[in-house]
Amino acid sequence: MRIKTVQKPDLSVDIGRLKLKNPVMVASGTFGYGREFEDFMALNRLGAVIPKGISLNPMPGNPPPRIFETNGGMINSIGLQNPGLRVFIKEKLPYLKELKTDLIINFFGNTQKEYVRLAGALDGVAGISALEMNVSCPNVKCGGIVFGSDPRMTCRLVSAVRKSTGLPLIVKLSPNVTDITATARGAEDGGADAVSLVNTFRAMAINIYSRKPELGNVIGGLSGPAIKPIAVRMVWEVYRAIKIPVIGIGGIMNGEDAIEFILAGASAVQIGTANLINPGAALEVAEGIKKYLLQAKVNRIRDLIGGFEI
Amino acid sequence: MAIQTDGIVLNNRRIKPLYFLLEMDCPAIADETKPGQFVMLRTSNDGRPLLRRPFSVYRSYPAHHPEKRKRGHLLILYKMVGQGTRKMAAFKKGEKVNLIGPLGNGFTLPPLPSSARTILIGGGVGMASLSPLNEPLRSGQLSVFIGGKTKDDILCENDFGGGKGSNIFIATEDGSRGKKGTVVTLFLSEMKRFDKNEPYHVYVCGPDEMVKALSKGIKSGKWTIQASMEARMGCGFGACWGCVLKTTDPQTPYQRVCQAGPVFNLREIVWE
Repeated sequence: MRIKTVQKPDLSVDIGRLKLKNPVMVASGTFGYGREFEDFMALNRLGAVIPKGISLNPMPGNPPPRIFETNGGMINSIGLQNPGLRVFIKEKLPYLKELKTDLIINFFGNTQKEYVRLAGALDGVAGISALEMNVSCPNVKCGGIVFGSDPRMTCRLVSAVRKSTGLPLIVKLSPNVTDITATARGAEDGGADAVSLVNTFRAMAINIYSRKPELGNVIGGLSGPAIKPIAVRMVWEVYRAIKIPVIGIGGIMNGEDAIEFILAGASAVQIGTANLINPGAALEVAEGIKKYLLQAKVNRIRDLIGGFEI
Repeated sequence: MAIQTDGIVLNNRRIKPLYFLLEMDCPAIADETKPGQFVMLRTSNDGRPLLRRPFSVYRSYPAHHPEKRKRGHLLILYKMVGQGTRKMAAFKKGEKVNLIGPLGNGFTLPPLPSSARTILIGGGVGMASLSPLNEPLRSGQLSVFIGGKTKDDILCENDFGGGKGSNIFIATEDGSRGKKGTVVTLFLSEMKRFDKNEPYHVYVCGPDEMVKALSKGIKSGKWTIQASMEARMGCGFGACWGCVLKTTDPQTPYQRVCQAGPVFNLREIVWE
């Protein structure tokens, strides 16, 4: 008689209507347009790919230097540089939509009208599984942070975008607010299918010898392991405040970090800064999750969501 | 194609008070690397520092290289400046070092075998990326300008020659070696030796201020001038748009140093 000893844990998760084969996605802005990673990893094994955010018109980005490393993290002020919707669809999308994983398009606008137009334009494009709207970039005035800082504005913007697309809609939240549960509720009330959090924390660094800022834009956004405990706390707060799924982001470097977010209430996670250091990081996180489930004798990752005990 | 792989440390020795030469066995990358390309090296696995660091490849010995004992070896000449390079200085023989490479475009060479007239201008550790040009270019006429703050920053002076004629010029800011002053001042004072109407190939690598001063001072005529640029990099393989440089490109002024470079046509760089 053969005794079944090896289990294959079920890593699939649901983000509202969106079904992912595993809970590990790559965060927008840290994964280029996907192709930059093809030498290093099997992109098809990712839970989802989220390419660099797009706007209606091209954006030149911020002046360099755009990156500064700090203890356990990095501050960036890229400034949402991107070639705009038209070039994205023509030059980047054909490669991305051939991938055998879900494709989530991150987008942002200067005005509500631009958000609505972008969402509408992307709605009709084959190969896109969901949209993630950025209302939280700390590096540009028009990156949506204005919308993302006020719960009522978030709600109004999300509900306008909601009407222009039938695709699952994820709202990416800023941590640079007094109460992140308020903006999360705004997104939920506006009709979002899920929220993702957190974007980077507004930060800066000064070179004490030149007495000048380390970044061309002076202020940037902090990411990496340094922000993880704050992000975990915010995920837990938001998980308790809303009914729609939460996607956890913030300094995840390995499977254990991802499990921590999932226990705090995240249905899925996004890997950001780690992609830059180790291009295969997201797949290693997925492997780490599997290993944890086997050791903990948990058959389904979804059984762990929000499963931490006080 | 770039790959991520481990190099095995063969040797890591101090060659000047602040400069080290790291020799690794890494055939996969050594086979593919051209002059001017770089690798992203993980100096530490404990997150201090967190990001990889970019290094020009100083030497690479592919599988068919005539020096059999060197085949598969990859060398990096680095300066100890911060947390990451201090950790590198402690690398021991046999240690594994994670690398991504080869990255970037590398230098464009004249048709080989070269009979071209070439000028190399390097400052400090910038010489590490110019040094591999000796091999393909030494059959022509080679003039090399090496600069540094002090005599302890003059690198690679013995790397050139073995060909037709090579001239080495040295400048230090404190006057402890060669001509006192910057390498750019020295080059500009010697520029009358080189005919602007002849198609010289000029290769430059050094700190931004050096390249900028050269760009302002040099009237290139028929010369093609390639500059290998330094930048803080997040990833090194095009994912983060962190390492950009302003160029004359009308569509996309901010180009990634790791993708469009690190070697740029000097005339396409916009200085701010």
